[in-house]
Amino acid sequence: MTTTLANRRRPTRAGGPEEGRPARRNGSSSSRPGFVWALPATIFFGLFALVPLIAVAVLSFTTWRGLGDPKFVGLKNWESLFQDPVMLQSLWLSLLFIVLGIVTQTPLSILLGVWAAGTQKNRAILSAIYFVPLLLSSAAISVLWRALLDPNFGIPGQMSWLFGDGNVLGTQTGAIAVLIFVGMWQFTPFHTLIYQGAAKQIPPVLYQAASIDGAGTVRQFFSITLPQLKNSIITSVILMVVGGLTTFETVLILTNGGPGTSTTITAFHMYQEAFRRFDFGAGSAIALVLVIISTAISFAVVRVSGYDKMRSSLEGL
Amino acid sequence: MNKNGWVTRGLAGLGALALGLTMAGCSGGSGSASRPENEIHIAMYGDAGNTVEQKIIDTFNATSEVKVVLDKIPGAEYQSKLQTIMDTPNAPDIFFNWGGGSIKSFVDADLVLPLDDFIKEDPQLKEAFLPSVFDTAVIDGKSYGIPMRGTQPVMLFNNSKVLADAGISAPPATWEELLEDVKILKDKGITPIALGAGDRWPTLMWFEYLYDRVAGDGLFKKALEGDTSVWESEDSRKALGMLRELVDAGAFGTNFDSVKFTDGGSPALLASGKAGFELMGSWEYSTQQSNDAQFAAEVLGYSEFPKVEGGKGDENNLVGNTNNFYSVHKNTRYPEVARDFLKLMYSDQFVQEQVGIGNLPTTTNTEKFLDKAADPEYAKYQFNLVKEAPSFQLSWDQAYPPEATVTILTAVSQFFSGQIDEDGFIKAMQSL
Repeated sequence: MTTTLANRRRPTRAGGPEEGRPARRNGSSSSRPGFVWALPATIFFGLFALVPLIAVAVLSFTTWRGLGDPKFVGLKNWESLFQDPVMLQSLWLSLLFIVLGIVTQTPLSILLGVWAAGTQKNRAILSAIYFVPLLLSSAAISVLWRALLDPNFGIPGQMSWLFGDGNVLGTQTGAIAVLIFVGMWQFTPFHTLIYQGAAKQIPPVLYQAASIDGAGTVRQFFSITLPQLKNSIITSVILMVVGGLTTFETVLILTNGGPGTSTTITAFHMYQEAFRRFDFGAGSAIALVLVIISTAISFAVVRVSGYDKMRSSLEGL
Repeated sequence: MNKNGWVTRGLAGLGALALGLTMAGCSGGSGSASRPENEIHIAMYGDAGNTVEQKIIDTFNATSEVKVVLDKIPGAEYQSKLQTIMDTPNAPDIFFNWGGGSIKSFVDADLVLPLDDFIKEDPQLKEAFLPSVFDTAVIDGKSYGIPMRGTQPVMLFNNSKVLADAGISAPPATWEELLEDVKILKDKGITPIALGAGDRWPTLMWFEYLYDRVAGDGLFKKALEGDTSVWESEDSRKALGMLRELVDAGAFGTNFDSVKFTDGGSPALLASGKAGFELMGSWEYSTQQSNDAQFAAEVLGYSEFPKVEGGKGDENNLVGNTNNFYSVHKNTRYPEVARDFLKLMYSDQFVQEQVGIGNLPTTTNTEKFLDKAADPEYAKYQFNLVKEAPSFQLSWDQAYPPEATVTILTAVSQFFSGQIDEDGFIKAMQSL
């Protein structure tokens, strides 16, 4: 969050004072503002992101129950981490959640976003309604769906032809399906918003040219809209990856990691080790694994997609 | 323009400085000085019983300059929240607990105030309570907790209307009768026993009772002392086999893993007549009462856990929470206020209010108020159970240290849903 703030601030402020800045000051020939401009954001990032990160890294080599002082135990937490079957399973589950999240949310939010960028009659009202889930807190959403999915008094009790005995949260498949569905319900509006903004930026002249060439709506969507949305898709996917890795409230409230350990994803496992078993050392080690994995994935996505070069999709226009 | 740039830079610098200072102000400085003036905070397990705690606090605040504030923490997260704030400046002055294992680590970390000096000034703080209960919060000869709320044995509750409609005249006295009742109710299309397995601890209650009835109270005590071989014993396997038989007979239906007690799911099953029984702590009464007072008073039935033929455990043994306690944090700013507040725990008003919502305080004056209970019959029944029980085993998840809880609860829920078999359960319990 803080880095994007810093990045965003730079160009907007640069335009203002710079033009009038005389070159004579201290011989500074830089056309961009100095490091001082980034200082507030950097300090903020340092205090609230880097310092805790370092603290967690240190804690991962200690044993600490939240009372008194942590004691160093060397690599003990890391050794038991890699022998813990729940940990290994949780990594696979997290991966599954990320993949299923991307597969379900991306197509839906692209279609909705592109539609919402149009000029149809009821667009504004319907867009506003689609937007509502984003305004609710994750905890509220989870409690809501938990109540709706009660096997005896909720939807499954009324629709036994679909849900059978209503044991939706009592099987691994059912519990994962519910978590993916609730995630989709909750986050699709956000990604829709990204695509709506991006789709509005596509120059109409492209569509005009295409229709002169005889391309229909579908052809226009695949040949103009999708390629033009490439950078937005990458942004959205990175956010889904990081969001998927840190999914927590919905798991805690909807399934409690269960049945058994069937939906104990890595972030929930971390919570369980730290705040249920009060083994903050082991919890910190898992947290660090999460940081490393999410950073690696984000880097990989950026590299593979060529996003780091920030190639414009509007070249030649 | 130039000047403007410098001003902005200066402001940014100042802002950064302020941020740093705020941070410095946040860290460090525990102890009584940083605690709020004229307030003491109670960390409280949040549930339907909080109304009584609040009433007592209102009584106390009416005459006290230092006000008591009740901080309700949702039950499921109570223990985690307490452990994380105990050694910080945000620690509560008084905190709810289960005595014994639940405060041991706090006592070891020197965070709990021994109450012996208070007791010397006012012996009633000790003598007003049944000794067996008071001693649960005595560690290494020092008293660390004053009993509050009540004793909470686990009982087999029933919907008497459902049983009557099914032709079941009395709650099951033996395991065989329970299995018969299960069959009768199942054939009528009713879930025989409501189980909030989503919370996992309601499932554990079945293990606690069956192990006690089959093997006696000694097995778990040995396990707690570190003798893990008892889990492989013949009795242990017998108890597990009986549990498996009960689950396979469809006693809990098939969707119990999706039901919770804490969100009202399983109590609603019982109250709406969709289920016949529920094994639950005595708080089932106040839970049902806050939803539908008439149901609690007229339809809700209760009985002891059935006895097991040939079992080694006494049929009057109980499991559950022996009692709840208030303990005082060592860093409290107003120890005397805390002391005065704790004196209310044996007051007539407190006992009467607790009895009124179905709780059962363990003070020496409890018995004379039982007639004034919301349901005198229920209060007396419960009081006699506790008085006559040869053994009252504290719930396994409270008896073991907190780090064992996840393992225990995962194992019992996996055993019920069939993800692990007897060997899997034994292995999990031996890993503790």
